[in-house]
Amino acid sequence: MTSFQTLAVNGNDGITGYVFMWIIAVVALTIFAFIIRSRIDLLLASQKDPRFSNLKRRFRDLINYGFIQKRQPRYLWAGIIHIMIFWGFVVLGLRSLDLVTEGLGLPIFRPFMQSPLGAFYSSLKDVFELIVLVACVWAILRRAIVRPERYEGSHKAEAYLVLGLISFLMVTDMLFEGSGMLLAGEMHGWLPAAWIGTLLLPARSPEALSVILSVTYWLHILAFFLFLNLLPLFKHFHIITALPNVFFRKLKKGEIKPARYGVDDIFDLEKLGVEKIEDFTWKHILDLYTCTECGRCSDNCPANAIGRPLSPKLLTIKLRDHAYQKYPILPASGACKGDEEPVNMVNGIIGLDELWSCTTCGACEEECPVFIEYINKIIDMRRHVLETSQNPNTFNQILMYVEKTGNPFGKPAVKRADWLKEQEVEGVKILKEGDQVDVLYYVDGYASFDPQSQQIAASIAKGLKLAGMDFGILGKLEKDTGHQVRRMGEEGLFQVLVEENTETLKSVDFKWIVTTDPHAYNALKNDYPEPYRVFHYTQFFLSLVETGHLRPKNAVDRKDLYTYHDPCYLGRHNGIYDEPRRLLQSIPDLRLVEMARNRDRSFCCGGGDVMLWHEIEQEEMRMAEKRIQMALDVGATVLVTACPFCLIHFEDTIKTGGLEERIRVVDLMTLFMSSLENPEP
Amino acid sequence: MNIIVCVKRVPLTQEVDLEIDESGKKIKEDALAYVINDWDNYAIEAAVQLQENLGGEVTAITIGSEDDEEVLRRALAMGADRAVRIDPGELVTDGYLDATILAKTISGLEYDLIFTGVQSEDRNTGMVGIMLAEQLGLAHAAVTNGIEAEEKAAKVFVELEGGIDEVSRIQLPALLTIQTGINEPRYVSIMGIRKAKKKELKVMTLDDLGFGAEALTPQTQIEEVFLPPETEGAEMIEGDAATIAETLIRIMGEKGVTV
Repeated sequence: MTSFQTLAVNGNDGITGYVFMWIIAVVALTIFAFIIRSRIDLLLASQKDPRFSNLKRRFRDLINYGFIQKRQPRYLWAGIIHIMIFWGFVVLGLRSLDLVTEGLGLPIFRPFMQSPLGAFYSSLKDVFELIVLVACVWAILRRAIVRPERYEGSHKAEAYLVLGLISFLMVTDMLFEGSGMLLAGEMHGWLPAAWIGTLLLPARSPEALSVILSVTYWLHILAFFLFLNLLPLFKHFHIITALPNVFFRKLKKGEIKPARYGVDDIFDLEKLGVEKIEDFTWKHILDLYTCTECGRCSDNCPANAIGRPLSPKLLTIKLRDHAYQKYPILPASGACKGDEEPVNMVNGIIGLDELWSCTTCGACEEECPVFIEYINKIIDMRRHVLETSQNPNTFNQILMYVEKTGNPFGKPAVKRADWLKEQEVEGVKILKEGDQVDVLYYVDGYASFDPQSQQIAASIAKGLKLAGMDFGILGKLEKDTGHQVRRMGEEGLFQVLVEENTETLKSVDFKWIVTTDPHAYNALKNDYPEPYRVFHYTQFFLSLVETGHLRPKNAVDRKDLYTYHDPCYLGRHNGIYDEPRRLLQSIPDLRLVEMARNRDRSFCCGGGDVMLWHEIEQEEMRMAEKRIQMALDVGATVLVTACPFCLIHFEDTIKTGGLEERIRVVDLMTLFMSSLENPEP
Repeated sequence: MNIIVCVKRVPLTQEVDLEIDESGKKIKEDALAYVINDWDNYAIEAAVQLQENLGGEVTAITIGSEDDEEVLRRALAMGADRAVRIDPGELVTDGYLDATILAKTISGLEYDLIFTGVQSEDRNTGMVGIMLAEQLGLAHAAVTNGIEAEEKAAKVFVELEGGIDEVSRIQLPALLTIQTGINEPRYVSIMGIRKAKKKELKVMTLDDLGFGAEALTPQTQIEEVFLPPETEGAEMIEGDAATIAETLIRIMGEKGVTV
């Protein structure tokens, strides 16, 4: 086959083609380098971010999510199309290099191509050429006819241009190889794409065929280099950046990044948070380069679903447009690097309520096929908003209360264990410095002071007693973990709380921590520096059941149909999906049904973070309302959750919506306790 | 426009079951959390806003121990330029003494306006600001809920009974006691407060101010502190919404409220 390649490159007159090819390649690669330079400039100007830990896991994830593309089929047809094109690119890459190197007169792949393995490769390549072509046409038709809503606001013209260009590359190669075969009068093995090409060609006219051979070759080469140079300009940059982006993904879910990596004491910093594009870390910039605008994030974003002014996809697109404007390819076109900002990025390009709309539920990050991070970016921008006092005024008092009293209600610390009296729980040890227990029950603020959540705490305490556990609470020594505070952007206060709580936890001797609240669980597990052995109550009580310490005996009414709502910080952020379900199913006669959105696609209740204290005006309905509808849709009469905030949001929505007759909400712990034979030891 | 703001650290008393100590003249303070007096927070914000618009310097002053410096740092973080703490040592002050000490401190400073809160959350006397104005021989406006400052004068809005505002012009220098709600005080982060440590905070003793011991005699004495006596229990109104509403209207009518 190389004979007709040489013919295509140089025609019949010697070496002119090589010269052309060198000119094309040098010019194209120079332009490419020039374009890439401005992209690299921004990466270099951005902040540190250590992403080389746990290489084994990174390589494994690269294979699973980069090459096997495990997240793609979460959207089945789009996923299949993408996998077809991706694998086409992997296979066809070698073919392109072969064509280019032949053209340059450096036929380094020729020995391989002429080997038996090369023949197999050629067949494989041909099959993939057809697969890619079909996938591209399919994708074009899908975009034009089906028009999935999630592409709203994406750069549609770019998508068509690139899909068209890929198709063009496939067709030119088919015709090129087809005309070559006809000219040579022989078949090189089984080449289905080339064979289809031959059907379209004037087989009896060698003159026409040799013109077509040259033209399709050069068109293919030009299209190839054009494509290369288009990549870093548009969303198709992901063809280059997606694999690195997957490799450098965030490994520890649920964790919020420090204000600056490599800084031990944040109070040494001049400022906190992200104000300008360069304040992001290099990985967060790489995220922007990598976004394919597929919209899966926004399609799953609960804030977006209820009309709040947040779409994760548009957040990325806006930040990227801003980045490209600030780091333009042609320096003359209004570059203004550094401190001079013609327009605010935060509270300008990105609106304040856009930032406050996020409940940090993590649905977007769970969905993104290339592991783009949103929560850390949003929190980093919130930090800037808070440090510059642009936060909602309602936060002032809440944060002051947390600072002064350790809880957001401003209740005196000395009353932190009063829930024991109020809920009539007896015989619970309130720990002092130096005390020793097996289980330290970390109640946290809401379960200590909010009357509704106190019932969960009471059930946990009674359950631990019933199981004969040696446990205690910290009472006035305990302060809120600061989960909310950190996600509101008050990093300084969070660090103070970490310091104080760590000191307190050091002063008592315990084996395990059990928490009421998935948020407290997440903070202690993922945000705190000490490696505590911390469990959410659902995990702990399941193990008590499975080890025979507790035996649920009282059956529930079989008329009721139960459904379980995965709290974000239990499920998505910490992967605890099965334990709560198994604990539920330990209750006799309990009939469990799954909502359409369950497990990692759970739909946030409205959040335990900012939303309790700040209302977004554009909201069309409450998240909890939408979630309860999902429960009603599957016929559930009892909605079970395992988080005080979910309970509050759902209970409130059921009451205000007058839905008491149709559905009720219950915390898993309260439900579980009522199934125990003798709940009052 | 140079502005002096007098601030005070007070205990956070909401939801706290206050207890009287053995002497019967004080509440127990050990388990209380302390914050900036709410009115003073608005006063600082008002001063900082004026300074941001008109230039000049803001000085925050408090009388108290080292622990009370916290409210000064807060003021500095909000935008005040310098702070002064007067350490009263063992002296227990009342409103009159506070005004006297502040007057002496301030008389050595340059200023166009002095702000205090209308009152403090702990003693609620509402007199320090006014007495301070008197001692400095300044015009004053109490319960200010709006300020439009000019070169040598200011238009001030003062809250009267029944939601009526009185608008007047006041010659500078003058003293204004600031009402809550005059603005929306900004949040100052923990980081901001830590950073404010770099700003000047001067500590002065009563000796530094040139007070002799005899000059500082409180004008008020606390005889006894007691909790309000418990009154009879509330009446629970039973019945459906209509009955409850009817009963409510009847009771309100009996108490002289016309609905």
